[in-house]
Amino acid sequence: MEEYTREPCPWRIVDDCGGAFTMGIIGGGIFQAIKGFRNSPQGMKHRMKGSLISIRTRAPQLGGSFAVWGGLFSMIDCSLVKVRGKEDPWNSITSGAMTGAILAARNGPVAMVGSAAMGGILLALIEGAGILLTRFASSQFVNGPPIPDDASQLTQASPFGSYQQYQ
Amino acid sequence: MPVTVGGPYGQSQPGCFDKIKMGFMMGCTVGMAAGALFGTFSCLRVGMRGRELISGIGKTMMQSGGTFGTFMAIGMGIRC
Repeated sequence: MEEYTREPCPWRIVDDCGGAFTMGIIGGGIFQAIKGFRNSPQGMKHRMKGSLISIRTRAPQLGGSFAVWGGLFSMIDCSLVKVRGKEDPWNSITSGAMTGAILAARNGPVAMVGSAAMGGILLALIEGAGILLTRFASSQFVNGPPIPDDASQLTQASPFGSYQQYQ
Repeated sequence: MPVTVGGPYGQSQPGCFDKIKMGFMMGCTVGMAAGALFGTFSCLRVGMRGRELISGIGKTMMQSGGTFGTFMAIGMGIRC
């Protein structure tokens, strides 16, 4: 999901899969802890036990489904990079939609279309936010004064004559 | 993850906490937008209209914004 620093292509699949699994485990742990705590009967002991059971049963499931999504997503992403020969936001939007469609394939064509639309819209939002964020961040983080060009190199005559293109 | 060192340009490297905050903000924005979209459909489907619809959409937006923000923050946190 991060477009700032991404692994080169074949290894991105492993990276995304593992990252998504970790993300799902930790996030699922947090949410299931709260949910299990609230759904348990009265008493601190019951509540702690309930939240622990809930984490143990549900967090790995969530991590697994995240990992499947992430792995399939970056597999399709890498295939698209290979096929199209370029990397742009459309790649990840397309692969998000295709991932949604493939993962809902067992539920019939209607569910596939709905899931594909959801994946595509979600990835489009994420990509759009990433583009906005990088544009915003580049104006936000102020760079230091740029290194002044060494002017002595400019006056030096090039041995190959002028590099200008005449057309 | 290749780290861009500040180097001669003197750019301050955003710290881990800054990254997590940024991730949360980004996830919150995305989640709110997604919640507005999907929440409208699902609230209209169950037959909410008028004031009830607005509050239903708002609730969905807040919920999905929080969830997305948390997950994005974690995703940023495990990579730094």
